[in-house]
Amino acid sequence: MSIAQRVGAPRIVPTRGIPYPTGDPSLAKADENAWRLRLVKTALGALATPVKQPTVFEVA
Amino acid sequence: MADMPENGLTRLVHHVTEVATGPDTTFADGRLTVSADAARQCLADPALARIEVTWASPGQSVRIVKVLDAVEPRTKGAGGGGIFAGFVGPDRVQGRGSTHVLRGAAVVVAGFLPRAQEAVVEMSGPAAALSPLGATHNLVVEFTPTDDAPWEDVDRALRRGALRLAVHLADAALDAPPDAEEWLPAPAPPTSGADGRYRVGAITNLQTQGTFKDVFVYGRSFSGGLPTLVDPGDLDDGAVVSGQFGHPSLKNPTFMHQNHPVVAALRARHGVDVDFAGVVISPEPVVASQKELVSAHAARLCAAAGWDAAIVTKEGGGNADGDVALKMDALEDAGVTAVGLFAEMAGPDGTGPPIVVPPERATAMVSTGNYDERLVLPAVERAFGGNAVALVDRPATDELQLPMAVVYCALSPLGWGHLTCAPELGTEELSG
Amino acid sequence: MSRVVHYINQFFAGVGGEDSADTPPTTRPEAVGPGRRLAQLIGPEHEVVATVFCGDDRASGDPAAIAAIIDLVRSGQPDLVVAGPAFTSGRYGLACARVAAAATAAGLPVIASMHPDNPGLDEAGGAPVVASGEVARQMGPSLDSLAAAVRRVLAGETLTADDGRIGAVPRRSRVADANAASRAVDLVLARLGGDAAATEVPLPRFDHVNPAAPVSDLATATLALVTESALVPDDNPDHLESARATKWLRYPLDGRDSLAPGEWRSVHGGFSTAWANEDPHRLLPLDAARRLESEGLIGSLYPAYLVTAGNGTSVGNARRFGIEWAADLRHSQVRAAILTAT
Repeated sequence: MSIAQRVGAPRIVPTRGIPYPTGDPSLAKADENAWRLRLVKTALGALATPVKQPTVFEVA
Repeated sequence: MADMPENGLTRLVHHVTEVATGPDTTFADGRLTVSADAARQCLADPALARIEVTWASPGQSVRIVKVLDAVEPRTKGAGGGGIFAGFVGPDRVQGRGSTHVLRGAAVVVAGFLPRAQEAVVEMSGPAAALSPLGATHNLVVEFTPTDDAPWEDVDRALRRGALRLAVHLADAALDAPPDAEEWLPAPAPPTSGADGRYRVGAITNLQTQGTFKDVFVYGRSFSGGLPTLVDPGDLDDGAVVSGQFGHPSLKNPTFMHQNHPVVAALRARHGVDVDFAGVVISPEPVVASQKELVSAHAARLCAAAGWDAAIVTKEGGGNADGDVALKMDALEDAGVTAVGLFAEMAGPDGTGPPIVVPPERATAMVSTGNYDERLVLPAVERAFGGNAVALVDRPATDELQLPMAVVYCALSPLGWGHLTCAPELGTEELSG
Repeated sequence: MSRVVHYINQFFAGVGGEDSADTPPTTRPEAVGPGRRLAQLIGPEHEVVATVFCGDDRASGDPAAIAAIIDLVRSGQPDLVVAGPAFTSGRYGLACARVAAAATAAGLPVIASMHPDNPGLDEAGGAPVVASGEVARQMGPSLDSLAAAVRRVLAGETLTADDGRIGAVPRRSRVADANAASRAVDLVLARLGGDAAATEVPLPRFDHVNPAAPVSDLATATLALVTESALVPDDNPDHLESARATKWLRYPLDGRDSLAPGEWRSVHGGFSTAWANEDPHRLLPLDAARRLESEGLIGSLYPAYLVTAGNGTSVGNARRFGIEWAADLRHSQVRAAILTAT
C-alpha cells in the first residue's frame, strides 16, 4: 500500500519517479511531453470520477 | 525412539552476591574477586594501548555511558571448553553437556566506537530497573585505542577480549558447588503436538549492517545469511555474539542472547500449554527485496518445522520494524500464527503514530514501551565509559534529561522488560 | 458548581463569516451562540462563565493567537475548557485542537468536539476529543454528546470510546506485571484460541479523507496546479526551506505557457533536483495544463501555483498547509487542483 493510499488521498495517479513526478527523462523530449499530456488528462478524468476511498488511476 | 541421553544443556548457576579486586581471580561463597592484571591480559591486543577494569555494582551512585556490549561470564571447562564458538572456542556446535554461569555478573565494555550511539546504564535511581545491567555486578572495561589503530581492529580486539574475560571470570567457579542446576532440553521434534499443545517457536532477527552494526554466529558475520534453525542450547553457549552498537534501548547484547527472554518464556510453559518448538535466527537485510525474500523463506522454514505459531523479535529501530512486519505477514500467509514485539515511537507525548512499519494482515503485537518518552536521571558520583554524554553535551555525572531511547535495553526487543504502552496493563509509569 | 469556559469561532459567536475570519481573540463573560444551549444542558451544576472566540484564519494561522486565547481562557478561571463543536470545518477544527493541546499543556482540563474526519483531530496532542456530527445542522445531538462528556469529566471520570471519544489516546509507558516475552506467549495462545483481535498495539489508523464530489463540468471550471516539490523562482526570493518547511508560497503564472529552465529551480532537499531543474515541467505540468485549457477540457487555469517543500515536513504543518490551500483556492473559486508529489 503506497503512502498516498495510507494517508487517504482519494484520487491518486501514479507516476514514474520521485525526482520527476510529471516527467520521464528516459524518453525523448517529444515523447516525454506527450506522456505528460496523457498524465494530466488522466488526472482530469480522476477529478471527474466519483470515489469512496483512495483510488488509483493509471495512465493509459 | 529411545531417549537420547544428554539431549539438552545443564546450566550450573552460581549466584554472584559480592565483588572485589585482588591478586587472583577467585570465586567462593558468592564472592567474585578479579585480578586486574589477569583481566587486562584477556584484552591484550596491539590495537588497545590501555585497559582499565572497575566494578560497578547495583545501588552505587554510578552511571555507565557509551555502553558497547555486555557478556555474562560462562564457561564449559578451563579456558572455555568450547564456549563462544568462533571467538574463544573453535567454530563447532555446542549447547550440550553443562555450562557454568556466574549469574548476577556481567562484563561490560564502555567507550567510544564509530557509529555507536550513546547508551546509558544507571546503577541506582529510577532508571536502574530499565536495564538488566542495573541489577548485575558489572566489570566495566574501559579502553584507550593505540594511536593509528584502525577502529575495526579496536572493535575486534574488544569483542574477543570481553569474551575471554567472561570465560576467565567463570573459570573461577569451576570447582564451586552450583547454587542451582537448570535443565534445558532440546526443542521438541516436529512429531510433538500430538497431546494437543501448540508448537510455538521464536524467530530472532539479528542486525546485519556491516562494521559496528553486525551480529556474529559461530564467529562469522551473519550478514548475507538466510534464516536458519539454531539449537537454543547454542544460544546459551554464546554462538550469537553482538557487534552492533546502535539504538541502545533496542539492542540485544550478547548477554541477552545468552539469556534469551522469549526462549525462557516458552521454556517456562513447555509441556504445560505449549511445546517449545525451537529458534530460527534471521538477518535483517537493508534492501527491500532481500527483506521480502528472507521473510518468505523464514515463514516456509517455520511451516516445514511444524510450528503452529512464531514469536518474532527484532533488533534496531524503524527499519527493523519492517522486517518483523514482513515476517508476520508471511507467517500468517503460511498458516503460522504470528506475534511480533514492537517498541512504540509515539513521540514524547505519546500521540504520534506508534509503529513505523506495521504489518498489514497479521495484527497481534506486543508493546515494549514508548521510545520517545523522556526520563530525568539524577546526578551521580561517578561515571564510566566517558566524561560526557553526547546527546545532551553534559558531563556524564550531571542530572540528565534523556529519552527512553538511550537507556540500554529499556525497550528490549527480545522481551526482557516490563514496559508496555497497552493502557489496560500495569500502572502508569512516572517518567520525566 | 463548576466553571466552564467555552471556545468557539467568529461565525458561531455571531460576529460574521469568512469576512471576519481574522477576528482577534476576544472574550465575553457569558455563554454565546451554541454555548447557551450547552449551558442549559450542563446546568445547574455547571456554568458557562465565559466564552472566548477568535477568527478561524487568526486562530489557525497566527502563531501568537493560541497563546492569547489561552490567556483569555485562563482569566475565566475554568474548571474545564470546552472547544467546538467544529464539525468538519478544517480551520475551526484545527483551532479547537490547538486550543485543546495548549490547554492540556497549561494544566487545564479540556474537551474538544469535532467530526471524526476533521483534519484537525490529530493536532489535539492527546487531549480528549468527542465526536460531533458532520455539519452545523447536527448541532443539537452534537451538543447533547458534548454535554454528557462535560458532566462525566467534571465528575472525575475518564472519557472512553463509549462517550464518543475519538482520536489518538496517548501511548505512555507503563510497567506490566509480566515481561514482554511472557506476554507474547500469552498473546500467541489467545490468538491460537480464536481471539482474532487480541493485541497490545492497535493497528495505526489510516487517515480517512472524505473524497470531494467529482467535478461535473471541468470545461467551465477553474483548475489549480499545486506542488510540494519546492519549485520556486531561481533566486528563491521568499527563502523556502529545503526541509521542515514552515511556510507555503504562491507564484504567478498569468501570461505564461511554459516554465523556462534557468528561471526556476527546486530547493527540495529530499531528492536530486537535476532532472527537474533541466525541465521544470517535470514538477509542475504547466505546458500540458495550458494545452488542455486551450483545447477547452478545462475552463481556465488558476493564474498562480501554490508550493511548499514536502521534505521532513511536520505532520502538523503539512496538515495546516493543506487546510489553508483548500480555503485559499475555494476563496478564488477554484474547483479542483492537481498536486504533484515527490
